[in-house]
Amino acid sequence: MKERTPRKAPALRADRPGVRVAAWASVIVCGGFGLLPVYWLLATSLTPRDQVFSYPPRLFPSEVSFEAYASLFSNSQLFTYMQNSIIVSVVTAVLSVIVSAYMGYSFSKFRYTGRRALMYFVLASQMFPQALLLVTLYTVFSAYGLLNTYTALVLSFTTFTLPLCVWMLKGFFDTIPNELIEAALMDGASRLRIIHSIVLPLSAPGMVAAGLFAFVRGWNDFIFALTLAGPDKQTLPPGLVNTYVGEAATAWPELMAASLVVSLPVALAFILLQRFLVSGMTAGAVKG
Amino acid sequence: MSANFPTRPSLTRRGALQLFGLGAAATALGGCMPTSGGASPQGSAGLSGAGPTDFKFASWSLTEAAAAPALEQIIDGYEAKQGVKVAPTSFPYNEYINQLTLQIKGGQFTGAAHVDVAWLGSLAAMGKLQDLSSLAEGRGYTDAALAAARFDGVQYALPWTIGAIGLVSNAEMLQKVGVAPDGFPTTIDGFEKTLKDLKALGGGIIPYAASTKAAQLKDVLIWMQTFGSPLVDGDTVTIGDDASVEAVTWYKSLYDQGLISPDVDRFDARSLFSQGRAAIYDDAPVGRNAVTKESPDANLASKLNPVARPVLKQGDKPRALVWGGAIAVVDGDGAATAGDFAQFATSDLDTVLGDYAVRGLPPATAEALESDKVASDAFGSLFSERITATATTNPLWAFTSYSQVESEIANRVQAVLVGSAKPADAMKAAGEAAQKLVR
Repeated sequence: MKERTPRKAPALRADRPGVRVAAWASVIVCGGFGLLPVYWLLATSLTPRDQVFSYPPRLFPSEVSFEAYASLFSNSQLFTYMQNSIIVSVVTAVLSVIVSAYMGYSFSKFRYTGRRALMYFVLASQMFPQALLLVTLYTVFSAYGLLNTYTALVLSFTTFTLPLCVWMLKGFFDTIPNELIEAALMDGASRLRIIHSIVLPLSAPGMVAAGLFAFVRGWNDFIFALTLAGPDKQTLPPGLVNTYVGEAATAWPELMAASLVVSLPVALAFILLQRFLVSGMTAGAVKG
Repeated sequence: MSANFPTRPSLTRRGALQLFGLGAAATALGGCMPTSGGASPQGSAGLSGAGPTDFKFASWSLTEAAAAPALEQIIDGYEAKQGVKVAPTSFPYNEYINQLTLQIKGGQFTGAAHVDVAWLGSLAAMGKLQDLSSLAEGRGYTDAALAAARFDGVQYALPWTIGAIGLVSNAEMLQKVGVAPDGFPTTIDGFEKTLKDLKALGGGIIPYAASTKAAQLKDVLIWMQTFGSPLVDGDTVTIGDDASVEAVTWYKSLYDQGLISPDVDRFDARSLFSQGRAAIYDDAPVGRNAVTKESPDANLASKLNPVARPVLKQGDKPRALVWGGAIAVVDGDGAATAGDFAQFATSDLDTVLGDYAVRGLPPATAEALESDKVASDAFGSLFSERITATATTNPLWAFTSYSQVESEIANRVQAVLVGSAKPADAMKAAGEAAQKLVR
């Protein structure tokens, strides 16, 4: 019996005008979808306050004003918020990567009683609505005198970033051939040596991805930072709301200007590390 | 531990049992954590102290650009007068009550706290607010202001800025349909006719920027009261009665006729009004600065005209909802000085007038209200005369769960507006849901 060969689907020729137009249209639609909010942020930050809600809405401000930026850079409190955000987010990222690297390695390369249950337990903790844990964490931190400290913020953020980081890194470690570790063992390397000299350097993209995820989590959090940080250790999200969102009115141009400026470090970090992020997130997605 | 390399993990029955075991252990550990002390009894014992001490002062206005200078001025004045240090604490308005409650329950906050009068019931239920009636005596607070800061017969706070939420209109737009500044319709029928006339002007005008978003649909409660519903009778929520159904039916008819607009909350209403796209909306005096600052019309302030809410039939009393801020004292360190500060901030004439000059909010003492600075403010005077004079508190505030009750009602009113429920069925369901919450 003759084997049937599957019919080849007609290839989409990129040089056909219709295909090119469709491709460019898709790029423009998708790009607009992603970039329009950022543009709106920028346009609002440059619009005088009495024109922010003008009707019909204008795509381009009729008058450009840098007042919001001037007020932003003259507010020293915002630099304190930013400094706090950087400290808390960086420490959260580093701590999350360190802890999740060891946990992920353990889950990936060892077999012991309760391993699977622990893995799912770590994941299950991600399923709780975080607001539910706020009161509990507040009580615990209060009892141990940790309220209004960086430690409270770092510990609470790390609690929420660990599950995903652990699973992300476990997926990465799964792709490292066991034969490599066995060979190192046969050459007399200790377990710690194997982790530090072989596994972790090979897992750098995964660690960067996990670290970025943890950093962004710490950078963006509002409710935990508001509740646990106190006035001196307040980070940017609650700080900006406190400064610009009032009982009766919101200073939209100032808020938009501040949001744009404070998002720049994160955007920069993503641009610099995006190649690690993509490979880190997709590691373990395919076998072999 | 052995280095056996696992295959793809799957959750076995054994694994699940281990997982639940771990969960139980974690729950038990959580239960063993230390808790804060219980609530101290209410009273005024905490107000007596040897001498001035440092204390904390919480307010959502401490970091708001428009209001902060007024509060800083008050704090500086008090620190200079008493030689103490006031430690400020601030949270955004929308998060304030939750954060303050958490801090008071956890024992982190004691001292003076700026509170919305609507929150007094919830805060008093914690048993940590001091009875400030001794501080209220002889300071010239108006009876209405004192009543606004009282809950269950106890003076839990000293009134600071007391007003109401009422209708604010654009006099110029109303004049276009023949309604003079002092000739606003007094009945609901006349009001509806005016709204139709405004709509007939064209140009996409929204005659009445009433709240239609669930988050702010509690505004419909005042219309229910206008139609004759008491909302609460003793411990029974009366929503679902004929008057509340009639009010929601009328509100829906305004919606269907395009006299009120979909997707509007207080912030939207202010924006629409400030842009000259709405002729009437509901607001408290605190909204004045917001609408005038955001408006391209430099003369909008002079066109603001507060008006009494129309009534169902001639002779009824116009309804308005009490709105305002007060200062409560949370028992604990510095409470005595915090009480003195509350009295200073709310009733010292120079302090109150200095505050008024910045925030423009109606003061709570007769002396301040009668002063030239306050009396010469046409908007403020008209607001007091036409709206605040007949304002009452929301009967639902008596329940600590009032916020959830209002949400239940608002969600069902919204279902009526979008046509997915009939007014009678929706209000009956709202009343039943509210009743369950207040038990």
